[in-house]
Amino acid sequence: MKLLQVVGISKNFGSLAALKDVSIHVESNEIVGLIGPNGSGKSTLLHTICGRTIATSGSVLLSGKELVTSNPMVRAKSGMAIKFQLARIYVEKTVSENIMLSLQSKDGIWSLIRSASSKKFIPKIEELISEFQLSDYANTKAKFLSHGQQQWLEIAMAMASNPSILLLDEPTAGMSPKERADTAKLIKRASEKCGVLIVEHDLDFIKDLCDRITVLHYGSVISSGTPKEIENDPKVKEVYLTRV
Amino acid sequence: MKRRMRIGIAVVCAVPILSPLLFLSGNDYLIQAATRIFIYGILVLSVEMCWGQTGIFTFGQAAFFGFGGYFAGYMAKNENITDLGVLLLIALVAGVIAGTLIALFLFSGKRVGELYVALVTLAISYVCEKLANSWTFVGSGNGIPGIPFPTIFGKEISSSIALFFIAFGLFAVSMIICILIIDSQFGLAINAVRDDEERAEFFGYNRSLIQIIIFIFSAVLASIAGALFSLSEGFISPSSLGLTLSTSTVLWVVLGGKGTFYGPMIALAILESVDVEMQRALPSLWRILVGLMLLLTMIFLPKGLMSLGEKSRNKREQKKTT
Ligand SMILES: Nc1ncnc2c1ncn2[C@@H]1O[C@H](COP(=O)(O)OP(=O)(O)OP(=O)(O)O)[C@@H](O)[C@H]1O
Ligand SMILES: [Mg+2]
Repeated sequence: MKLLQVVGISKNFGSLAALKDVSIHVESNEIVGLIGPNGSGKSTLLHTICGRTIATSGSVLLSGKELVTSNPMVRAKSGMAIKFQLARIYVEKTVSENIMLSLQSKDGIWSLIRSASSKKFIPKIEELISEFQLSDYANTKAKFLSHGQQQWLEIAMAMASNPSILLLDEPTAGMSPKERADTAKLIKRASEKCGVLIVEHDLDFIKDLCDRITVLHYGSVISSGTPKEIENDPKVKEVYLTRV
Repeated sequence: MKRRMRIGIAVVCAVPILSPLLFLSGNDYLIQAATRIFIYGILVLSVEMCWGQTGIFTFGQAAFFGFGGYFAGYMAKNENITDLGVLLLIALVAGVIAGTLIALFLFSGKRVGELYVALVTLAISYVCEKLANSWTFVGSGNGIPGIPFPTIFGKEISSSIALFFIAFGLFAVSMIICILIIDSQFGLAINAVRDDEERAEFFGYNRSLIQIIIFIFSAVLASIAGALFSLSEGFISPSSLGLTLSTSTVLWVVLGGKGTFYGPMIALAILESVDVEMQRALPSLWRILVGLMLLLTMIFLPKGLMSLGEKSRNKREQKKTT
């Protein structure tokens, strides 16, 4: 059984067909890339997977469980975690508190009130912030982090929930080349624990990282395959040359 | 120990130390005014928990205050139940029931906006005031006068200073409970719902359950405060349910700064202390001045007067990180 199987997703915004019969799948420990020009529907696809928008038709299966109409909470509890295109972290909270928020999210209300896990989670918090190079900022409010650090924090939060599928929407946007390289390593390491579906603009960044790539154009899949196949696909070349 | 807890303990200790001054002066009027401030203080805590900490903009919290006040007052006067503990328990149950009904209506479905919550709660407060005004069963416009003093173990509590300490004690307990909640892991979760409720759902939080719990909790606080009000004042009238008290509470929280406990309390203490004098001195101008204050704070210091301190703290922190 495939870990994440998205079948025949369509999404209409009024008369705009943002997604047309899109299918994609991700196995455990696999990194799948999703590329395409601006407005091709990449974020919309991630949103229909994580429950931010409900697909007009199609199906989203996580380990065989149908989630296409479930609310975000149910999907998160089933093992989905997302990093949004614009980092959505808690800027008024410290880095540790942000990680804590994700770690404790599956605890029951009563254990939260008693703060039953506040000590239990400390080693896990330390491990995550050192992995994401945020140890020096443990007690710094997230709003004082650099742009790149905020993206890492959001990925760290996603990983904290121990997901089976990690959805990343442009995790390297606005990063320096060094930060990009580090991010690639972090994603590689994350994929040892779960499947990863990653949206990117940049074919060069993604081709070394991904096992497979799917290309969206005007809401339709125009190509899908290994990075090599994608690079040499004339249809993809056309889309990426006519862009800008 | 967290900063908030330390300050909380300090405040709780401060009042018993300061209060002898109050009754040494032998001024019953002053003692009653101080009692009222702590009773309204519980109401402020309830709005702060909802709005300041969870982002539920409850603009009609007086409805619960008056509800508890009417319930306890009615029972004390007409059913001869005067035991303070029992009356507070009645108010608690009344608060749970009223809070649950409205919380389920507001939060069990899809996410609703802050403004929607504000309008619905404001409307509820308005309707309650109108209802109490015209319903003879609860005394119409006169409300319920002549509510007997409460008793503890059969002993009547009628001295102002005893009532003051009861009000203060309940306020202190309420504040400590609120601080414990805020400093717990649950406190982190309710702040997450406040700052970005949609995001919290993507982490797997049960956003609607969290909002319902906090709304009921704060309805209970308000209801208990109302019961204490009607018992210590000896009467309850429709205005205790209504718009004026509802908006005053929001005003205290806005002026003092939502997101903190002390700012709103200070704003409440100052405004309540000068309110009567100012209404006498500037009968028509005072309300306008208060409104102007609200407007100016919202424009220039949206997080209230207390945010001045936080701003300088943030600057220091920023210097440290860069
Ligand atoms: N909530 C919405 N309502 C209406 N139209 C929308 C909505 N969300 C997205 N769209 C439209 O759907 C199309 C796909 O948008 P989407 O954000 O998925 O593109 P994208 O591939 O992520 O682009 P980018 O690379 O710029 O992030 C766009 O034309 C966009 O304007
Ligand atoms: Mg996008």
